[in-house]
Amino acid sequence: MSRETGIQSRSPTSAEALLSVRDLSTRFFTEEGQINAVESLSFDVRNNEILGIVGESGSGKSVTALSLIDLVESPGRVTAGEVWYRDADLAEEYRDDDSVAVDRDHVDLRTVSDRVRRGLRGPSFSMIFQDPMSSFNPSLTVGEQIAEAVEVQRRASATPRSTRARTQGYGFGRFIVDTLVPSRGYVTTPSKERAVELLEQVGIPDPTERAEEYPNQFSGGMLQRAMIAQALAGEPDLLIADEPTTALDVTIQAQILNLLRDIQTERGMSVILITHDLGVIARMCDRVCVMYAGEVVERGSLDDIFERPTHPYTQGLLGSIPDVQDPQPRLQPIEGNVPGLLDEEMGNRCYFADRCPKAMDVCLETPPERDARGSSDHAAKCVLTDREYAPAEALPETHFEAAETRGETDE
Amino acid sequence: MISPRVIRNLKKQFRSSLLPKVGLLLVIGVIIVAVFAPLVAPHNPTTQNLDRTELPPLGFTKTVNDTSAQMVDGEVETVTEVTTVNATLSYPLGTDGLGRDMLSRVIYGARTSLLVGVLGTTLAVLVGVPVGLIAGYSGETVDDVLMRLADVSLAFPSLVLAVALIGLWGRATVSIPDPFVAAGVASGMPPSTTLPITVVIVVGLVNWVWFARVARGEALSLRKQEYVKAARALGASDIRIIGRHVLPNAMTPIIVLGTVQIAAIILLESALSFLGFSGTTLSWGFDISQGQDYVSSGQWWIATMPGIAIMLSVIGINLVGDWLRDALDPDIEGEGGT
Repeated sequence: MSRETGIQSRSPTSAEALLSVRDLSTRFFTEEGQINAVESLSFDVRNNEILGIVGESGSGKSVTALSLIDLVESPGRVTAGEVWYRDADLAEEYRDDDSVAVDRDHVDLRTVSDRVRRGLRGPSFSMIFQDPMSSFNPSLTVGEQIAEAVEVQRRASATPRSTRARTQGYGFGRFIVDTLVPSRGYVTTPSKERAVELLEQVGIPDPTERAEEYPNQFSGGMLQRAMIAQALAGEPDLLIADEPTTALDVTIQAQILNLLRDIQTERGMSVILITHDLGVIARMCDRVCVMYAGEVVERGSLDDIFERPTHPYTQGLLGSIPDVQDPQPRLQPIEGNVPGLLDEEMGNRCYFADRCPKAMDVCLETPPERDARGSSDHAAKCVLTDREYAPAEALPETHFEAAETRGETDE
Repeated sequence: MISPRVIRNLKKQFRSSLLPKVGLLLVIGVIIVAVFAPLVAPHNPTTQNLDRTELPPLGFTKTVNDTSAQMVDGEVETVTEVTTVNATLSYPLGTDGLGRDMLSRVIYGARTSLLVGVLGTTLAVLVGVPVGLIAGYSGETVDDVLMRLADVSLAFPSLVLAVALIGLWGRATVSIPDPFVAAGVASGMPPSTTLPITVVIVVGLVNWVWFARVARGEALSLRKQEYVKAARALGASDIRIIGRHVLPNAMTPIIVLGTVQIAAIILLESALSFLGFSGTTLSWGFDISQGQDYVSSGQWWIATMPGIAIMLSVIGINLVGDWLRDALDPDIEGEGGT
């Protein structure tokens, strides 16, 4: 791994990165105020790797995933940032277009049109969700839904990035016909066969029969497999798995993770695995981003994070995992909760300072990302990367409590 | 869309209560009568017979006072002859002021009412459901614009709006040839049915709002579903998501509302024909308006018979609607107006 690929070089892209995210910010404009769900996020996804994103509930993991594929729902919006995606054809197409940012083979997806972005969902990016039970339409058979995903991609690849091809034969009259005469579907026989193949690949027994069944006839684990099959329909370069095993029991979790790993190796695609479970991260990932309050607080290789955690938050997360070999020491929970991320309450400080056991005076300023020990990728947003904790400079424990009480009396 | 669970629920609800049975019986009865009108009707509903005007229905008699003036011994004497007119078996519901058979008129009236009810509802569905689905699925500005439009048309009393639109567009009709007469099975019956097309369009346009509101409500909750998000993540277009994921799951309340709306539209059609805005003279509402002049002079049946027909068919359709609603979706309340 050469030094230039590091984040610090600030070149927008690097050749090995499939996806380079730079300063991505997503805000939700709610009645309570502006919520900074994702704050100046930067990371790379390389070829053929599994990148883990880990963090507590509310740290912005899922919103990050949705921001990448442009599926943030109102009142949320991606307000700033660049999402560089490597696609030589796309780059060639927009090379001379001034409104689209192109850097070598990379195209900044934030500058292309909505239509193009939608065209990339499926063949380039695909996503699997947390709850397989609610991710399938209860009124269509599983096979039909996978076949539809295949069909969408088939039509898309016939004429790349054309919206017309996807909707062709699917105008308004068509959906009335489909509803009244369900047998005359939009999907073609090859797509249906492909759907059965996909089901077989994800390890569903009797795929031909199972394809005819409705989601309520599947178990949770089987449905998660089916969802992976659906996500693979477009043969994506990047699969985003948002807590893919949270809704499943432990034995099924292991099976699904193995399946994901096998498919990733077999197809040579990249995976972003979002989870709050460090066990899953340790088992699956090549590199890890630790998220807190909408920011990546620490990033690095698996070893960096597990062996040389620098940020007190990462240390805290690791400290709250039980160790089977040594059950003696008590688990150390991180006190408090993830902040609400309301813009007006965030201020300019390290967002973890109020829960940090090693908070110091300097933590009242926003810490820049610094290189940390270990691999060239290892970096953390913490002053402790290049200095030791100095108890003399520690923030008084009551510092944030006092601030809170002030806030309450203001109201 | 129709799962075994739904069929089981339908059966269960059907068995457990008398009302669905009554409703289904009435509805099937009305449909059979309307479809096979030329075969069921004993007379041509438009043939006038001035020798047999105002015959009473079976089981009733009518007295006629025949007053005549005679010259007796140079003075004028009035003689009143009281005759009793008995009902005739061949005119079981009596005849109207022009000697037309009431039973046949009620039977043919069912055709008009059902045609207008079904076609009007279809039109309302075709306009309202897409508008509602698009509004609910898109949200924000599109939703606001479409729904304010719906509110505006809801603000007009539907009858006034209907009368105004008919006044604007005239009373156009379409003649639909009667297949039974054409096939020679029913001779002596009217060769075609007159469909008041303006009325169909007007009742459709007056009632689309209900479908738009129900469809919007469903779309609003369905678009938050994970599977809609999943479909988007896989690159499906909005129209496909609406067609494949939102509409099928929104069908239940739309079907229920559609049933109830047929009854509402039959009532609206009757009101319009009563007021003379229909364009066809073979309609329950039209017969009631003709018969009201006779009520005060004792010929009550001319207005009553079509009135009973309206009542029975509307009650029947509503009972079926309630049955469907209870069986398909216990959560929703009946919505819809006249």
